[in-house]
Amino acid sequence: MNINPQCCVVATLLLSAAVPGGARARSLPTGPVSAFEGRVSIGAEVIATIGEEDETAFFNYTDYEHNTLRMFRVGLSAEWRALERVNLVAEVRSEDLDAVRPYAAYVRVRPWRSVAFDVQAGRIPPTFGSFGRRTYAFDNPLIGYPLAHQYLTSLRPDAIPNTVDDLLFMRGRGWQVTYPAGSPEPAPGLPILSAFRWDTGVQAHWRGKRLEATGAITNGTLSDPQVGDNNSGKQFAGRIAAHPVAGLVIGGSASHGEWLDRSVTALVPQSPGTFVQRALGADFEYSRDYWIVRTEVVWSRWTLPFAATGTYDDLDALAMWIEGRYRITPRIFLAARADTLGFSKIADSSGRLVDWDAEVARFEVDAGYYVQRNLMLRLAVQHNDRDGGRVLTKTFVSGQVAYWF
Amino acid sequence: MVLARRWAFGVGRWARGTDLYNKVAILIGLIALSAMLRFDGSSSAANGTIRGRVELRPPPQDLVRRPNPGDVGMPAAHGPTDRRRSVVYLDPAPRAAFDFREEPRARMDQKDEAFVPHVLAIVAGTLVDFPNNDETYHNVFSLSKPKPFDLGRYAAGSSKAVRFDRPGIVRVFCDIHAHMSAFILVFSHRYFAVTDTEGRYRLDNVPPGTYNVVAWNEGTGEDTRKAVVPEAGGDVELNFALGRSPATPSRQ
Repeated sequence: MNINPQCCVVATLLLSAAVPGGARARSLPTGPVSAFEGRVSIGAEVIATIGEEDETAFFNYTDYEHNTLRMFRVGLSAEWRALERVNLVAEVRSEDLDAVRPYAAYVRVRPWRSVAFDVQAGRIPPTFGSFGRRTYAFDNPLIGYPLAHQYLTSLRPDAIPNTVDDLLFMRGRGWQVTYPAGSPEPAPGLPILSAFRWDTGVQAHWRGKRLEATGAITNGTLSDPQVGDNNSGKQFAGRIAAHPVAGLVIGGSASHGEWLDRSVTALVPQSPGTFVQRALGADFEYSRDYWIVRTEVVWSRWTLPFAATGTYDDLDALAMWIEGRYRITPRIFLAARADTLGFSKIADSSGRLVDWDAEVARFEVDAGYYVQRNLMLRLAVQHNDRDGGRVLTKTFVSGQVAYWF
Repeated sequence: MVLARRWAFGVGRWARGTDLYNKVAILIGLIALSAMLRFDGSSSAANGTIRGRVELRPPPQDLVRRPNPGDVGMPAAHGPTDRRRSVVYLDPAPRAAFDFREEPRARMDQKDEAFVPHVLAIVAGTLVDFPNNDETYHNVFSLSKPKPFDLGRYAAGSSKAVRFDRPGIVRVFCDIHAHMSAFILVFSHRYFAVTDTEGRYRLDNVPPGTYNVVAWNEGTGEDTRKAVVPEAGGDVELNFALGRSPATPSRQ
């Protein structure tokens, strides 16, 4: 196993600061840092994940081309309560000591004091589904991410196939996709919903006693969140969630937005006008005693043009996962997730119906140990099966140290 | 001394079935035992009071919520966390302090996403109730060595209890709400007090003697000072200043 040296150094430092349990453990902050009489609060998260390299199967690569099972991530978040009902919220992240990227940067306004209605503008948290807002180590019970949020399909916003055969040639190769039309550089494909970038726009949220609703207009789409607008089209997304009893959340989401870059739509001779990503989702969470169970289903449809023929087709993907966590003792927990990602069929040049991308299934089991309230060790075994690409099946073992305050 | 009391209790039961001569003999024995207890220094006849004030420099701020950019709306305001409370206790305590006959019970509420009280001081063996008075789930737990526990998630109106048998400091959290935390200080004796909002404390019924008095606060650490309770009893005033101050060295 080839180990990422950055992760080893960070893991060793964190553990040496905390494991003795005495005075040294107290040297790590346990809560957020605050200033200006509590008006500014600052939190941080440091995650070092140690696992084997995966430069043949690319099962866990993200749209920033990092392996989630072999990553060193630092995040810094801050909230400034500028006025009684106006907050500024920001988060920056760096993965594998790459460039620091703004993950969140928005202003939150509560217009009426007595109504739980908020408007947020800027780089805002995802509206669709539930997992996208809880990608933090303390909220994600496993090291890995659900396939829908991380696995790269063979679609690119800035390059398109000439024919269906070009598309099918890229089945199971989402980590490095090339197409003859558009950008000639190989680049990662798109996930169904990106968990590593947040979109830019305006979001409104209302919360009642048993019901909450969120709506947003943003520049990008679920699979390709943007800071600027790359196609003059906006995405509309909404979610309604019910909390009938404590511990139970049932949510439904929908979104509609243009996903292709304008540099590509200009190449299509008989453009239908818009190429959209539509998505529907349902999420469910129930927790009680020492259990949490969550499940989510996401269906997505992209309208994809073919440059040579000028035709276009609807490509569907369906992702489903169920995850659970059980705390065995105050310090030890077990978690597991079963995950599938499937694709609709399309006819190739010989008329044979083929899935437009390779189906993937994943099962992951984690065991976690809390060294202290905000310092956690995890060990994961993740098995992947894929119906195409260079590698059809692969099992990964990874370990993680996560610390936050 | 506990053994002596148990002996006396047993003798008392036995005496119900004996004649007058033996009862007189036992009575004399009990008087002698009572004299021993007085000699032991645990009699309340000349006991004193140690009282004073714990000043915190700087005064601690309320706990703030960790910024969570993933919140799609403004999070609900949580109740205040009273971090001004300190605990003052004798270390070590007089021997008589270790004799409890009652089964103590205490309570730490979960209300408005805060533990109330934020600091609880109890004797070892106390059963502490953790009622959930919010409309959301809470999950009270602790990883502290004296009493690691996890009550799991339970809804409004429910309550679970934990018995704290070992002395020490137990830090309590909620697994769902990261800004919720509290301290339970478990003592093997009863000579302790939690300060009021002004920092005032009072330790009553302290037998004459010289004691180490410790003042503890979660934010500023602790300080130990000597107090002498005279044979005649009476009040002894002892003030503390915890935190960053050159005039009052702290063990922090």
